[in-house]
Amino acid sequence: MTIFVIQILNSFFYAAVLFLIAAGLSLIYGVMRIVNLAHGALYALGAYISAWIVGSAVGHALEGNLGLAGMLLLLPLGAVAIAALGALIEPTLLRPLYQRSEEYHLLVTFGLLLILEDVMKLLFGRTPLSAGAIMDQMGSIPVGRLIYPTYNLFVVAVGVAAAIGLWAFIYRTKFGVILRATSQDRRMAAALGINVSRVYVQAFAIGCFMAGLGGAVVVPAQAAVLGLGIEVLILAFVVVVIGGLGSLQGALVGALIVSFVRTAGIQFFPEIELAVLYLIAAAVLLVRPTGLFGRA
Amino acid sequence: MEQRNVDRRSFLNNLGVTVGAAAAATAIPVVKPASAQSPAAPKGKIPDTPLKFGHMTFLTGPAAVLGEPSLKGHLLAAEEINATGGILGKRKIETITADEAAGTDANVKELRRMKLSEKIDMFTGVISSGNTPALGPVAEELGLLTIFVDGCTDFLWDKAVPNPKFAFRITNIQSADGVTCAVAAAQTWPEAKKIAHIHPDYSYGRNAFDHFNIAFGKLVPGTQVVSEGWPKLGTTDFTAHITKAMSSTPDLIVSSVWGGDYVAMYKQALRYGMFNNAKFASTIAFGVAPHAIGKDHPEGVIAGVHSNYYFTFPPGNRWPANKTFVEKYYKRWNEYPNFQSDGAYHTLYMYKTAVEKANKLAGGWPEEEAIISQLEGMYFETAAGYLYIRPDNHQGYKDAVTGFSKNVPEYQFQILDPNRMITIPIRNITAPPHWPKPGSGHNDPTATYNWIKETWPQVT
Repeated sequence: MTIFVIQILNSFFYAAVLFLIAAGLSLIYGVMRIVNLAHGALYALGAYISAWIVGSAVGHALEGNLGLAGMLLLLPLGAVAIAALGALIEPTLLRPLYQRSEEYHLLVTFGLLLILEDVMKLLFGRTPLSAGAIMDQMGSIPVGRLIYPTYNLFVVAVGVAAAIGLWAFIYRTKFGVILRATSQDRRMAAALGINVSRVYVQAFAIGCFMAGLGGAVVVPAQAAVLGLGIEVLILAFVVVVIGGLGSLQGALVGALIVSFVRTAGIQFFPEIELAVLYLIAAAVLLVRPTGLFGRA
Repeated sequence: MEQRNVDRRSFLNNLGVTVGAAAAATAIPVVKPASAQSPAAPKGKIPDTPLKFGHMTFLTGPAAVLGEPSLKGHLLAAEEINATGGILGKRKIETITADEAAGTDANVKELRRMKLSEKIDMFTGVISSGNTPALGPVAEELGLLTIFVDGCTDFLWDKAVPNPKFAFRITNIQSADGVTCAVAAAQTWPEAKKIAHIHPDYSYGRNAFDHFNIAFGKLVPGTQVVSEGWPKLGTTDFTAHITKAMSSTPDLIVSSVWGGDYVAMYKQALRYGMFNNAKFASTIAFGVAPHAIGKDHPEGVIAGVHSNYYFTFPPGNRWPANKTFVEKYYKRWNEYPNFQSDGAYHTLYMYKTAVEKANKLAGGWPEEEAIISQLEGMYFETAAGYLYIRPDNHQGYKDAVTGFSKNVPEYQFQILDPNRMITIPIRNITAPPHWPKPGSGHNDPTATYNWIKETWPQVT
């Protein structure tokens, strides 16, 4: 029973991280029809920046004076930095390519992925960075005979808050209406006087913010290592393939499915851990080629 | 199969397992190690054209923390040799590098390109066991002298290149990892019966799993595998694997997760209390660049170094080759070497020595075959102790080491306790020459696996 509870908590933790990444990926595709292969690298860069700020730079300067609240407040700076980077990338790298076919989008964002991987190595070196102090200070709660880190529950809460916040933002605000309108018909939106370029920058920055936030919240629990973004990008694609590219609900449901199936695979069928996710993605594609919540 | 019953202590004694700082370089060679012989002036006319070496290792990705020290060891040796005028005092070393993270197919193409268009004289490096079995046959086909630093799978010599001519490898063979870890664990925690495993899902993890189990089963009667976890290489989320392992209430958790993956794993395991609930033994935890392991790492666990080398051992002045190597490496790179640094550094010196010896015999710049014949059977002094290149399979063998993690004030990171190192003579834990290879008489994973199965007594 104890194990059952912990594995469910593990699954929610992992789903929260996957949702943050996949939601950004889906949002960017939904609005701009860009498959952003650099999304995982942006997530990893967010992890590195947050770990660097919390674990190294400020952590050493204010040894012991920072406190848990201070560290938690610094943590999202990685996400803010990625959002700012996104606001820079969209007008310079992506805008010239909207009229071109998708292959160009893939090539440019893949190139960006490679560049960002090298930038991370250049800036932060090859030694893993961690922000473990946050986790240690939050301690753990007893679950049966075992313990569970309190911080992981905090990450689940961040994931839930992000899901609600993003939903409210898209479906309950004026900007959300503009975003959806632009996503449905870019030309009509422009004809109605919407500044489409600005909407694109904002949408891309929000998507990047989500990726950076994913990296920022995951880094105290794990470590920022080179190549972090590539593994995660693949899983994020599995999530959006299952949920449907461009759909927020799809990202949420997809993240939950991937995370729970992965945990069940690890617990019960360790030999096929790698295969089981792709089998599910394949099954969904056979039954619903656009994903569970995707539009044709 | 021969059945003998022995007790564990006498069997471990027979294996020659020693613990502590005293156990350095037990394999005393009958000949003087090669590097100790002073080089005379080269014979004959030596061209002064530079030598071109290709070095392939992980420069990006989570494996870079293990692999980049290889390039640093290589460059340090090349700089030192060039500072003395080059090999045979004439030929300086030029290095071209390649990123192993490009993937096996791309690596094979790159090796061909290096030989055919860059005209390299020797190829070295390579970390992954997934790559050497693909690169080895190509090196043989190209007739390119190759000394792999790692990529240590038994499969390379068992199957992929059963009769090597041009390819060599200098780190210990992979099966030694699982066996060394098992011997150390059996000696330290003989009461451990329930074993949980967490290994990366590819050849290295499978190999460690198989060899740990066959050796540990011989040394500790009545053991059982109670849990298996096979995370994908490159995974950083291990929460479910850790919970799974703990769910089986094991006495001992064994892992071969390495590089950046291992750093992420141990940090998660700490917060789940994994190290409080079971003993822990790893084949390769401390194989990364030493400073990647934080002081928060649990103390007193078996933290292997791929059965090869850790910079604190042999300690002090006991083995001068280590002392000077660590000092030179630290001075050049401002960090401490790992086993790949040791391997890559001594690969170059071994090549240099072979060329010098071949030159002494025939004069001039030696033919490749003459260099190879000097490498075969060579005893060489490395920072880790004596290294022996077995002529039949071109594999380097040195005494296997592992140890226990410990925090000491001298270092900003956790180290292996030099006073508690476990050393095992390599000949006692690997199959001897001409032992049947897989597919000829047996279908076990490796020759060593079969040799242990058939010849080790069952401890009662």
